[in-house]
Amino acid sequence: MKPQQTLVGAGTLVLGVLLAAGAIGIRSDAGYSGVGPNFLPWLVGISLLLCGGFLVYEARSGGYRDMEEPSGAERGDWVGFAWVSVGILANAALITTIGFILSCTLCFVLAVRGFKAAEGRLDLGVRAWLVDFLIGFAIAAPVYWMFTQLLAINLPGLTSTGWL
Amino acid sequence: MDIWNQLLQGFITAGTPINLLWALLGCTIGTAVGVLPGIGPATAVAMLLPITLKVDPTASMIFFAGIYYGAMYGGSTTSILLNTPGESGSMVTAMEGNKMAKSGRAGAALATSAIGSFVAGTIATVLVTFCAPVVANYAVRLGPPEYFLLMVLAFCTVSAVLGKSTVRGLTSLFIGLAMGLVGIDQISGQARYTAGVPELLDGLEVVLIAVGLFAVSEALYNVLYEGKVVETRNKMSKVHMTREEWARSWPAWLRATAIGFPFGTIPAGGSEIPTFLSYATEKKLSKHKEEFGTKGAIEGVAGPEAANNAAITATLIPLLTLGIPTSNTTAILLGAFQNYGIQPGPQLFDKNAALVWALIASLYIGNVMLLILNLPLIGLWVKLLKVPKAYLYAGILIFATVGVYGMRQSAFDLLLLYAIGLLGVVMRRFDFPTAPVVVGMILGPLAEAQMRNALSIGEGSWTVFVQRPGSIVLLVIVLGVLLLPRLMKLRKRSA
Repeated sequence: MKPQQTLVGAGTLVLGVLLAAGAIGIRSDAGYSGVGPNFLPWLVGISLLLCGGFLVYEARSGGYRDMEEPSGAERGDWVGFAWVSVGILANAALITTIGFILSCTLCFVLAVRGFKAAEGRLDLGVRAWLVDFLIGFAIAAPVYWMFTQLLAINLPGLTSTGWL
Repeated sequence: MDIWNQLLQGFITAGTPINLLWALLGCTIGTAVGVLPGIGPATAVAMLLPITLKVDPTASMIFFAGIYYGAMYGGSTTSILLNTPGESGSMVTAMEGNKMAKSGRAGAALATSAIGSFVAGTIATVLVTFCAPVVANYAVRLGPPEYFLLMVLAFCTVSAVLGKSTVRGLTSLFIGLAMGLVGIDQISGQARYTAGVPELLDGLEVVLIAVGLFAVSEALYNVLYEGKVVETRNKMSKVHMTREEWARSWPAWLRATAIGFPFGTIPAGGSEIPTFLSYATEKKLSKHKEEFGTKGAIEGVAGPEAANNAAITATLIPLLTLGIPTSNTTAILLGAFQNYGIQPGPQLFDKNAALVWALIASLYIGNVMLLILNLPLIGLWVKLLKVPKAYLYAGILIFATVGVYGMRQSAFDLLLLYAIGLLGVVMRRFDFPTAPVVVGMILGPLAEAQMRNALSIGEGSWTVFVQRPGSIVLLVIVLGVLLLPRLMKLRKRSA
């Protein structure tokens, strides 16, 4: 009995169900080939159901077979994880409004907090925020300039100057 | 001879100052990426895919090939000096390399792996030069049924044969195939699994999946589970090999090239098997068996490292001549070709001859550049290992954003990136392989198209797959690959 592994197997089953449910809505007109655009969706959906079922069976009968022990700690450091997650999601939410450089710098600063927290060295002092902000800016800004100025690839900016 | 002419043309194209600069840039970034833990060639190439929007195909393929190659050279540095291998292919190098470094011979280990990589890489490039056109010539005769079966073979080997668990490998493969289904069906033009989100009509971007699965998940996994892991670093010593070390290294390089190259050419993907085989061979043949696993045997570094390079170079043959990727990085290179509307395959050697030969020529040039970058300048790269983990991973997240956002300018993609990152964490925690996801996602739509074309030829009858000699042979190979390992296991158990 491995509850986490059972959960992963169940997740696979759910994915299979979703794919199969989606496959119902796909037209089946096969033309000359005998199989239409709904053939592979059905195949993948049913296969995932089979895989998921097998994973659940393995999990409930002694655990996944031939499994390599995952590296690292037994329990996750969810505080650090939350910092990094907020960093990535804030980046997704803000990139179009405050521009690439500032948004990425923010993501960088938050992610550094997370990794430091996971190492047990979280420092929330003003100085640490400032130093990390400067380092993040020093990475994000040249990347932005390289893409917008040198390669002419559009990235959102706070201003339309192409520099910030 | 025709090949000589074309290769010469390739050198002329690859030798223009601007292309040389791209090659140098690629090799430099590649080495850095290989040295830095937590980011590999597949991730690096994926993050830089947006440049395909602006840079011309020859230059960017030269650039990407440089990264691909450079990462292997750099990877050995990390696996010798740190106790964590940078990528799966350097796992074996780490075993003996670490022992050597601990007994104060880091320099010799680094030298034999760099020179070995150069020797194997160059020999393998020569073999690619001569074999690839022959394979392409033969491949022109393959029709949709054969292509479909070749792709099935690639799916089987990547998911079911290479990994430890068939069911977990297959789960990964089908998740990848499911990702490939999202978007407009190539043949009928019907939208599938878009859930009304306009961003999904164009399908999922390769960049998104690769960067999410490798870079973001690596960062998330690290913060979750590996925050307290302290890496120990071995001491550097002078990069130098004695006469005896040379004498012990070169036969290992050559044997390993012979082992590694064939493995790269068949759709069996990855360099784990050839590197392990080479290690086992060297251990068996060595006159210094007592050094293995104790103070570190130089053959045990020279062999696997050369095998790795030979295999990686050889993966270009199935990629360029058949359009079939057998590893994460080649899958993403295929994605790069597709961004230009180029479909690798036998026609590539006719339609895009200039590009192919410039790419091959750039491999020769890249190998020389990398030897120079990695031997005299090794001290510079070692300094990269001192970057604190927090800054390294936070920086990787910035590059991940550039790669994903730069491709499609969509903030929605950044949310998806996080979701794929979470999927990657679960997969890593429960030991699901990631290569089948990427290969399945990129090769899936192509395989589906080939299958439906094949069935059209057979007027809807599945017997089309057993009516042609080529397809029968492939079908037998697919069955053999699937059944033989199982039969052998059964026999072992009953014996």
